[in-house]
Amino acid sequence: MPRTVRSTLKKKQDRWGLVFAAPSLFFFAVFSFYPMFSAFFTSFTNKQALSLARPKFIGLENYSYLLQSPDFWNSMRATAVFTLGTFSALVVFSLLLSALVSELRVGKKLFQLAYYSPAVLSSVVAATIWLLIFDPRGLANQAMNAVMNTPGVDHYWFVNPYKEQFSTMLVYFWKHIGYFVIICISGMASVPPSVYEAVRMDGCNRWQSYWHITFPLLRPTVVLVSIMSMILCLRTFSVQYLFTLGGAPERAINVITMNIYFTGIRFFRTGRASAMSIILLIIMVVLTWLQFRVTRSEEVNY
Amino acid sequence: MKRFIVITLILLSLVGMTGFAAGKQEAAKGPVKLLFWTHEDKNREVLEGRFIKEFEAANPGITVERVLYPSVKIQEATLAAFAANQGPDFFNMAIEDEYQYIANERVAPVIPEAAGYANMQAIIDAYIPKVLDPVTVKGKVYGLPLELTNWCIYLNKKIFRDAGLDPDKDYPKTWEDMMRVSEKITKRNGEIITRRGFDFRYPYYLVEMVPMVEQLGGKIISDDGKQVIVGDDAWIRFLQFMKEWGPHGKNLGSPTYKASRSVWNFDKDEVAMTSTGLYQQGRMRTDNMAFFNSSDWMVVPMPQFKDAKKVVAQSYYGHYYLVNAQKPRDNQFAAWKLIGYMLGHAEDYLKEVSLPQPTKKLMASDAFKKMPFSQVFADDMARAHVVYYGANSAQLQKLIQAAVEGVMLNNVPPEKALETLKKDAKDLFAN
Repeated sequence: MPRTVRSTLKKKQDRWGLVFAAPSLFFFAVFSFYPMFSAFFTSFTNKQALSLARPKFIGLENYSYLLQSPDFWNSMRATAVFTLGTFSALVVFSLLLSALVSELRVGKKLFQLAYYSPAVLSSVVAATIWLLIFDPRGLANQAMNAVMNTPGVDHYWFVNPYKEQFSTMLVYFWKHIGYFVIICISGMASVPPSVYEAVRMDGCNRWQSYWHITFPLLRPTVVLVSIMSMILCLRTFSVQYLFTLGGAPERAINVITMNIYFTGIRFFRTGRASAMSIILLIIMVVLTWLQFRVTRSEEVNY
Repeated sequence: MKRFIVITLILLSLVGMTGFAAGKQEAAKGPVKLLFWTHEDKNREVLEGRFIKEFEAANPGITVERVLYPSVKIQEATLAAFAANQGPDFFNMAIEDEYQYIANERVAPVIPEAAGYANMQAIIDAYIPKVLDPVTVKGKVYGLPLELTNWCIYLNKKIFRDAGLDPDKDYPKTWEDMMRVSEKITKRNGEIITRRGFDFRYPYYLVEMVPMVEQLGGKIISDDGKQVIVGDDAWIRFLQFMKEWGPHGKNLGSPTYKASRSVWNFDKDEVAMTSTGLYQQGRMRTDNMAFFNSSDWMVVPMPQFKDAKKVVAQSYYGHYYLVNAQKPRDNQFAAWKLIGYMLGHAEDYLKEVSLPQPTKKLMASDAFKKMPFSQVFADDMARAHVVYYGANSAQLQKLIQAAVEGVMLNNVPPEKALETLKKDAKDLFAN
């Protein structure tokens, strides 16, 4: 095909591509980019939610206040603890459970359904169910006391700060593990069976086949799962919020999203809340970039 | 392609920047349609639904759309709407949440002739002293109270008798009594409480707990407004009391148990006493009519500390109807007219929903006097003051909550909790 004809065809294709992409680009710009840019500008002002006065430009004052605020650093700590604890468990267990479920000869669908079912519940419903479980007279104390033979002991799920943090992680893990297991199972299903046949003929056992074949070939799925679960954990809000409404002390689980909510919605300080949102966004972008760098995720060729 | 995206983003950002300057009064256009936001309350919903229908029939040019929100959600929904200059025509919330709307001039003063009064002074004269203070700025009244609530102690006599106590003689007069009586009533399975004597209403630190500090001589803010968290001894004694109340002390209650007010009505041997308002009687009728009609409950005043320096009852708070200042004048007039019409049925609110409107007429009426234990509430109100409200009230409540949770649940020494509270409160007022 002559060069000029090819170039015209490409331009034509590009134009149609733009037409098809335009609606989604428009919605993305309006509902994602615009709020981000708006929050970015607002973070340099003293905007109060209800004030009709034009907000004053105050430069980096909001950021400087936050960096010196023990409350903000407590939120950073709570977010880091929650993210590390939940994200690592989600990645490791989604790989393990997906491997186990894939190996099942009977009841495979049943297990997939069982793991996935909490994911269809809203976070509010999930948190409400677990609030009842962690009530001093609830199932958590009863089960622990039955297993440990310690009748009448209150395990202080919401009183002890470590257990309180663990409780929020458990709820999140329970709610989201099924979703990531399904993604991993789909990743495993995309590995051609001929690869397994070849390694079996070479004398590999199941563990060797998983460790040397499945796991490396699952790298793109692992990267996807780790990035998605990390972003999900950094954005956690409803479980912590509902637990505090249910009487759990706020300090230990005051994650950054909850601090943003209180600062912006309850205390009307939109400028300061926007600055926190921008810091959270920067953390997410940096961590995602780091994950890409570390895992060096390229397309896998079989 | 890249240029397209960049231009789109710049345009959107500029639109966002212009949003900062918005907030002018809308122009009137044709028939009036009022949007009314309020919190859920099964009994009040029916009553006000009836008033709205009657009002619409009597005023053919006006239609009303009422939107109900859960009481914990209405604050954020209203704030988000007002921040985007899309607030409802009129709404109601507790004064601690409403104050910012008045301070930021987002609500309009009452139009006396629309609300059924001759002038502003006639409105002030119709209500009992001080109740309009939180909504009065420079002589103009910005809200009319749907209710004014103070809390007393509701007591289940059956549980008292079951614990070997005589409710009429042994009801707690002091906080020390409250602890002693609760120790007798509380039942446990090991460390787990299965029956409480009394428990606090933990989210409401300004309403319920600050008066306890004031009894001991402490204050939130000094009279000259220069010092926050005043009276170290009073605050430490209060925090020590809360520490003893919680799981690290005598284990009589905790925020982690189900709210005492919501279980008290059901008379299921779970809690003997709870603090709540006159409105609880309407909810008792709905939840457990047999218990309401029985003689197994009574209401007693809020306890005082044995060596209280000042007699203070639990703070009262109000829900006021406010009207959006950005709406056209016709809508504001119609909104005040409807509010005036609804509040003109004060006795219906009292009889059907147990919500007392603080008008002089209602407080002196037979309807109020005939309400069970209404005199206990009236007497306690005379010893109380309005809940602390101000630009920082929500944040201050959160700081007091952190101090109480610290001593009760995390075993923080009261002195240490007070030190943190004072430092954080000082920072709050400085910023």
